[in-house]
Amino acid sequence: MTQTAAPATPTSSRPGDRKPPREQDPRHPGRRLAALLDEGTLVPLTEDDGSGMLAATGRVDGTPVVAFCSDPTVMGGAMGEVGCRVVVHAYERALADGVPIIGLWHSGGARLAEGVLSLHAVGEIFRAMTQASGRIPQVSVVLGPAAGGAAYGPALTDVVVLGPEGRIFVTGPDVVRSVTGEDVDMLRLGGPEPHGRRSGVVHLVADSEQEALDHARAVAVLLGAQGSLEVDAVADRDLGALLPESPRRAYDVHPLVEAVLDEGTAVELHARWAPNIVTSLGRFGGRTVGVIANNPLRLGGCLDSLSAEKASRFVRMCDAFGVPLVVLVDVPGYLPGVGQEWDGVVRRGAKLLHAFGEAVVPRVTLVTRKTYGGAYIAMNSRSLGATKVFAWPGAEVAVMGAVAAVRILHRRKLADVAPEVRHRVEAELAAEHERISGGVEKAVEIGVVDEIVAPDRTRSALARAIADAGQVPRGQHGNIPL
Amino acid sequence: MAREQQVEIAAEMVANVVSVDVEPGAEVAAGDTVVLLESMKMEIPVLTEHAGRVSAVKVEAGDVVQEGDALVVLTVRPTS
Repeated sequence: MTQTAAPATPTSSRPGDRKPPREQDPRHPGRRLAALLDEGTLVPLTEDDGSGMLAATGRVDGTPVVAFCSDPTVMGGAMGEVGCRVVVHAYERALADGVPIIGLWHSGGARLAEGVLSLHAVGEIFRAMTQASGRIPQVSVVLGPAAGGAAYGPALTDVVVLGPEGRIFVTGPDVVRSVTGEDVDMLRLGGPEPHGRRSGVVHLVADSEQEALDHARAVAVLLGAQGSLEVDAVADRDLGALLPESPRRAYDVHPLVEAVLDEGTAVELHARWAPNIVTSLGRFGGRTVGVIANNPLRLGGCLDSLSAEKASRFVRMCDAFGVPLVVLVDVPGYLPGVGQEWDGVVRRGAKLLHAFGEAVVPRVTLVTRKTYGGAYIAMNSRSLGATKVFAWPGAEVAVMGAVAAVRILHRRKLADVAPEVRHRVEAELAAEHERISGGVEKAVEIGVVDEIVAPDRTRSALARAIADAGQVPRGQHGNIPL
Repeated sequence: MAREQQVEIAAEMVANVVSVDVEPGAEVAAGDTVVLLESMKMEIPVLTEHAGRVSAVKVEAGDVVQEGDALVVLTVRPTS
């Protein structure tokens, strides 16, 4: 939460200075906010007074937003009492207008020279963010180092975008080195690789500063201007062609997610973290929806500790903002093993049950190939209150695969038969087991699947199910960064 | 000049090796399958994220691999 000693008074350009005036610095918050907002729409909310923060109202693709930006041209963007008040003021305005708020971060954290007063002020930002959580969409873009308080600011918001120079960490390399002796640079501590792949702190990674701002614009519009679903605009496509012929073969689910959504509208969050589940925002018949999909290419599509946590946060975010959910299920179960148990797969898996069980937005499930066991329940099952559950013909809905089941149910019998016929007996028992207990027809009969739908009729069926749910309510809860 | 890097492609989970689809010296493109694993009763292709040349193959068909075990090592030339 600290930065190295810096002058206590803001510096500004004076005649005779060798350095160009800070207004010409490409990192100046006025420039960054202008690059974020639609041209000519920026209206400052505060003076450019060297407080270290600048706030403005403006539009992104025509949608009104509030935005603020830390000022690295003054004391490395360190946050003092006055600057923090600018952010709190921006939050008050965004809440009053009911519009998304976008924060651009490049800050060393709290102003050391102001002592505990600056910590107190940073804490007030955190409170404002938390109070606004789930009420207005909050997007953060980290464009430079964001240390200490400047790291937790973005982390409290709904979606965090990291620019190529963005570095997020609680304590910088110097402190790490002096305290633990560990030699590590900012990139390894808090760059795109650690936060995009390992920590889950960052939802979107960008290759350029402009791309980072564009990601934030896209998310703000998706959440802030959700549009309405035009059922007639949802054309059917043969989604079945996107899956391999063999039911045993793993595949990448991204083409399916993209084909369910309107073309070219998918924005995947947390793409490289917990990649065995895909969480994407996008448009469906023109309306914003959230898609959650198991990805068999990674970990066989198993649910595990991290993917359950990732999905729960996404479900809760969509629920808070009234974004309907489409859940694409092809899941072999929970990933077994001691690593998972010790990693709290029970505790984190419970978050997904809680998130779906609590959600009030329309949430429609499609089982494409299989759904087994505990993961069956967790993936927005009928029992958790799914709006509608579809399945493709031939999908398996069961406690486990039929062969695995008969190996347990008929262990003794199978042990007694000669090894050369064991495979045949096993197959016969499996077929019988499937007839009695499994199969999608059985699931329809008992009411846990509402309807079997052909892959080339699926988009229109999903659209009708969401439309039939009527007015989309919003979950009355915040979006704690699970 | 940018330096070549050795990149290890590791198993994400406990699995049986069904087949190894590359040989040492082979050139691979991003997205190519290098190894086919079997786990959770599924055949799961392991794809490379990077283009490069296969510098070592660490497993063969029939092996059981643990999470984190190296499958293939690539020599990757940075694009910049």
